[in-house]
Amino acid sequence: MTAMTRRKFGLFAGSSLAALSMPLFAPAVFGQGKPRLVAVGGGPGGATVARYVAKESNGAVEVTLVEPLKQFTTCFFSNLYVGGFRTMESITHSYEKVQRDGVKMVHAMANAIDRDKKEVVLADGQRIAYDRLVVAPGIDLKFDSVPGYSEEAAQVMPHAWKPGAQTQLLVQKLNALKDGDQIVMIAPPNPYRCPPGPYERASMFAHVLKKKGFKNSKIVIIDPKPNFSKQAVFVEGWEKHYPGMIEWQDPEIHRGVKNVDAKTGEVQTGFETYKAALVNVIPAQMAGKIARDAGLTNQTGFCPIDPASMRSAVDSNVFVIGDACIAGDMPKSAFAANSQAKVAAMTARADLTKSQAFPARYSNTCWSLIAPDDNIKVGASYEPGDGKIKQTAGFVSQKNEHADLRKQNYKEAVDWYDGIVRDVFG
Amino acid sequence: MPKRFAVARSAKQRDWCGFLAALCTAAMMSAAPAARAADAEFGRYLSSECMTCHGGASHSTIPDIFGMQETTFSEVVKAYREKRLANEVMQTVASRLSDEEIAALAAYFASIKKSN
Repeated sequence: MTAMTRRKFGLFAGSSLAALSMPLFAPAVFGQGKPRLVAVGGGPGGATVARYVAKESNGAVEVTLVEPLKQFTTCFFSNLYVGGFRTMESITHSYEKVQRDGVKMVHAMANAIDRDKKEVVLADGQRIAYDRLVVAPGIDLKFDSVPGYSEEAAQVMPHAWKPGAQTQLLVQKLNALKDGDQIVMIAPPNPYRCPPGPYERASMFAHVLKKKGFKNSKIVIIDPKPNFSKQAVFVEGWEKHYPGMIEWQDPEIHRGVKNVDAKTGEVQTGFETYKAALVNVIPAQMAGKIARDAGLTNQTGFCPIDPASMRSAVDSNVFVIGDACIAGDMPKSAFAANSQAKVAAMTARADLTKSQAFPARYSNTCWSLIAPDDNIKVGASYEPGDGKIKQTAGFVSQKNEHADLRKQNYKEAVDWYDGIVRDVFG
Repeated sequence: MPKRFAVARSAKQRDWCGFLAALCTAAMMSAAPAARAADAEFGRYLSSECMTCHGGASHSTIPDIFGMQETTFSEVVKAYREKRLANEVMQTVASRLSDEEIAALAAYFASIKKSN
């Protein structure tokens, strides 16, 4: 796969030789001048690793973060925007403090990675040389994993699984619903970004419909999985807060999605055809394109890594973190990406400055809101083991928990959001 | 000292409020800070796990641990490790920390006043 990808890169480079001829930063020889770390992707993984290396190396490492967006809207807590609990502004963050912490921001699209030359190639052909590279592009959607779905269809049937405009489109459609209108969600197969996310989103749909006083609308979740994250407590919450409103169908019931039609709003399954005013299609997922093109993925579509360091299994100069990597027992979440970033930052810094490295440790917690002040959570600790990132301890919310505890969980989630965005963006 | 503490209450487990009141008394009676054999660099690395939740300015449930007195920090984390304090997130985090690691973390957080 690596060799094939490098050939692909050669074709790309050949068509743009003039543009690619001049590196953006002078090429450095390892051991001479400042060592260079480049991170591609300014989400919870990439921005964290950039900040940590810049801050903890005290300027000894030249750190560059390549991210086309000047402001980043988080996927995490975007469901709370859907439910009306947060504003878009409150989940959107700038890179000003990242820059202040010593990171050189390059607001451009990274088009390719030339692993032979150790350079990142930007959309305009400029190149950024690196000694260590962190790849954190997040996920791409496999639009064709749902028959009839496409990037164009997503303008009518939003996925809203990437932050920003898609989330706003989803909310516009949600707000335009009338009593009696139906919502259909097509949930994704494993592995995907934010395992509890679809079910928290369905909860937020139901909350909005309930708040409007709708009595005749229904939400149907068509799921390719036989079960899902925090299922018992989600279902309990739906029955408590939204009786009869949310219907979850496993594959034995719906027998597969046969087609979606953006023009008619129809969703055809092996069981029934639904006509919905809002169809939320969350397709199957894979690592972001730049990671795939660079030959960092395997047959799963995601990137294998060394669990002790987050180093790519195919290139020791490259780290892959966040949703794009294969993180063993860890879910694809912002918390996980942030945790992995710290291991990658420590290892890359040790590579570049001979600072001390310690055994890798990881952690994750995911909070989900079912209804106002009814929040559930799942979390775990992880360490390298059995050739993967292995769970060593964990917990999940239980049925029949006291309302005070669920309310406390929500406050905790709000505090956590404030903490993690400061950890990521400064 | 942290500004405010609050955790989920459980009939079986103590919460921060009562636990901390007892700890404050013990800390004030302590003649000198514990010897710092802990490796500061190690504490700094371990602390990165804490930063995901504790680095913010919102502390309605997640306390500000910057500048926390070492004894207080150590006793609270040990109480989570032994499940004498409620909160599954903290119980899980603390479950893999050795006494030496808790000491390294306590020394680190006692030495700094502010996150970021």
